[in-house]
Amino acid sequence: MTRRYVLRRVLQLLPTTAVILLVGFLLIHLAPGDPVLALAGENGDAEYYAFVREKFGLDESLPRQLAVYAGNVLSGDLGTSYVQGRPVAQIIAERLPATLLLTGTALLLSTVVGVAVGVFTATRRRRWPDVTVTLATLAMYAAPVFLVGQLAILLLALRAGWFPVQGMTDARSSATGVARALDVGHHLVLPALALASQEVAAVARLARVGLLDELARDHIRTARAKGVGERSVVLRHALRRAMLPVVTVLGGRVGHLVAGAVVVEVVFGWPGLGRLLVTAMQARDAPIVLGVFLLVAVTVVMANLLTDLVYAWLDPRVRYG
Amino acid sequence: MPARRLVVLVAAAVLLAGCASSDPEPRAGDDPTASSGPTRGGTLSVAIDSDPGQLNPAITTSGGTHTASELVYNGLVELTPDLEPVPELAESWEVLEDGALYRFDLRDGVTWHDGMPFTSADVKFTFEEMLLQLHSRTKASVGAALESITTPDADTVEFRFSRPYAPLLLQLDVTEAPILPKHLYEGTDVQKNPVNSKPIGTGPFTLESYTPDSELRFAANEDYFKPDLPYLDEVVMRIIPDKGNQVVALEAGEVDFLFGTPGPDLPRLKESGDVEFLTTQRNPGGSNCIMTVSFNLDKPIFQDVRVRRAVGSALDREQFVERVLFGQGKVAEAPISSGIGFAHVPGLAGLPTFDRAAAEMLLDEAGWQRDGDATRTALGVAGVPDGTPLAFGFTHFPTFAPYAQLLRAQLAEVGVDVTLTPLEPPVFADTVFTARDFDTNIISYCNGADPEIGVKRMYVTSNIGPVPFSNSSAYRNAEVDELFEQARTTVDEKARTATYRELQERLVEDLPYLWIVETEANRAFTTQCSGFSAAGHFAETASCSR
Repeated sequence: MTRRYVLRRVLQLLPTTAVILLVGFLLIHLAPGDPVLALAGENGDAEYYAFVREKFGLDESLPRQLAVYAGNVLSGDLGTSYVQGRPVAQIIAERLPATLLLTGTALLLSTVVGVAVGVFTATRRRRWPDVTVTLATLAMYAAPVFLVGQLAILLLALRAGWFPVQGMTDARSSATGVARALDVGHHLVLPALALASQEVAAVARLARVGLLDELARDHIRTARAKGVGERSVVLRHALRRAMLPVVTVLGGRVGHLVAGAVVVEVVFGWPGLGRLLVTAMQARDAPIVLGVFLLVAVTVVMANLLTDLVYAWLDPRVRYG
Repeated sequence: MPARRLVVLVAAAVLLAGCASSDPEPRAGDDPTASSGPTRGGTLSVAIDSDPGQLNPAITTSGGTHTASELVYNGLVELTPDLEPVPELAESWEVLEDGALYRFDLRDGVTWHDGMPFTSADVKFTFEEMLLQLHSRTKASVGAALESITTPDADTVEFRFSRPYAPLLLQLDVTEAPILPKHLYEGTDVQKNPVNSKPIGTGPFTLESYTPDSELRFAANEDYFKPDLPYLDEVVMRIIPDKGNQVVALEAGEVDFLFGTPGPDLPRLKESGDVEFLTTQRNPGGSNCIMTVSFNLDKPIFQDVRVRRAVGSALDREQFVERVLFGQGKVAEAPISSGIGFAHVPGLAGLPTFDRAAAEMLLDEAGWQRDGDATRTALGVAGVPDGTPLAFGFTHFPTFAPYAQLLRAQLAEVGVDVTLTPLEPPVFADTVFTARDFDTNIISYCNGADPEIGVKRMYVTSNIGPVPFSNSSAYRNAEVDELFEQARTTVDEKARTATYRELQERLVEDLPYLWIVETEANRAFTTQCSGFSAAGHFAETASCSR
């Protein structure tokens, strides 16, 4: 793996994101609907609507608006939100930590729990624990995130009263420091579980299949014949290579998690980028929508790059040049 | 468990439940703390639908911004639940020159949250630089009539109009005309001023913190000019976009107050006994709203008033109240909302009431023939080829789908075939008002506190065109235009009422629209809290015993 390879991959980011931005720009501007309604309210007169259109450059032609936008992005300026009148970069930066916390936790949770479940089922192949757990993960994989979220609220928050139903903190507490971190953690449990549920299932199934494949190979038989303990056979010899398919889908999973976060954030009132995106779409606040698109695109492309690098580390036969 | 013991247990449970419900309800007067007045202190947690984006209510009519920011600001007047103007920042006022000049004497000793004194210059600045530029309702009504604002001294402000202007006093509350500090906005771009997210007002609460998309925290203004108010120490607004989740949060005790209650949840919350309600026609996004069906009068099939009248007679509005609103509203009895007492005229002759036979007869007369249960077809209808089916589209916000489905079902009964087209609000505005590509639609037209604010826009000829939520039917009647102008410049309330009566008689005759139901919202709050008002600084006089 060379430095040149990494550099080339990073450079590939540029055309990819440019295309994503262009498509996003065209989608939001060619879609019917006028942001002026969200800006001006519904009781204005014609003169007022014309004034607002001019103020935000909405009276310009589409190519001209695109040129202005592209120029601004190239100089590092994501523009100003129509509705909030504040820089898009600042608005995104405010929401980013909440989404990172949520998707990061879900990613970690789904990987660790998913692999553990995979190991558990693969080592009990075709016995009842395998069948039960595999069926359960299949159900989890099939259940839409919003359904899992609502069920979690109904059962674990409303019935059992273990967790709060929404938000990131307790409305009536103004705690700081450790108490606040614990409060946030308590609020994080349900949304992170809901978001991770599908991914846990996906990872578990991949890990199970990969491990089963691996356990049937010659080098495992040799290891067992040499008298290596079963625990060591599974965890040291088989698991490392069985992780390859799991890692392969890592980049794609980041995309899934971001998409899932949009739903989970709305269901649980989690103040992140997903909700920002939904609100901005409804108001046709194009600068915010495009800013979020840009961030997500870069993240997913970077995650894929990272995947490739980890892949090479796990399987020394893979070389990039 | 033996069957007999089970029966006994059930009987005991029924008996207990009976006792519990026959117990007298605890009354406010019985509460030992009530004798010493409302409880002081505590935090009120409120659910709101959306992030306000920014907190300057003078540059937008957005419901989100107004809900969150009206606690911080004041208007010159406050409106009582009956829409009577009472003093707020203005201590008193005189209406001079038959209503062409209004002189306000401002309250002494009012300070902004940063300690600076409030003066007449703030009023003049807010109007000239913000309200008359960017607050769509105030700009379109006051702005069109105003000649000048003058400030003879720091405590006096005068509004001069070119002709007498009747509705002014109803347009000066915190919703229509909040007053903002000149010293923080002067010389800046008011739409990008950072004060918009760190507001400084004169109101009962000061903003403590604003976490976008999460929560806003307000603390009591210790120096508020209304004595003893507010009672609460703190108000926290939680942003919970989904209305169902708001109800869940109220039931779980995470919030104390909701601005609205979804109809399907209403019976359950009422039964629980833990929640109280305040029913109102006023909402931060607009008050006195009537769900109104527009006919695109440019289309040949709607040019015969008998067709419009038949559609009106085929609709059973009581069903809309029951099945769509779950009782949160009432049948609209006039073009102008019952919330505007002086202008509302119920019982006008010719307003269609539910009568299916009459509807069928009108359609027969208009040349729309029916064969059995089939859709009617044209026979000798002007501008329509014979044999054309009586079928048209109905455009609506996705959230209004229940209205659309009920309307389609009711019109099918009289042989009218309706196709539904749900469109998101920005697309709806484009399609209906710019492209005018629709047959019929439904819009929640909010009348406001005065017909000049939210009624006139629907009917005057000059308001046909690419302006969202203007004259959707494209109704043209020079007489009606003239009557609106007359009502605007008549200050005497009796004479004004008479003008609005005449106007509504014309509208009912022409039926450019069908006024279906007046909608109401139910503020829902835990029984531990009380003292809310429906609009403006809703928590100014609220308190919680906890």
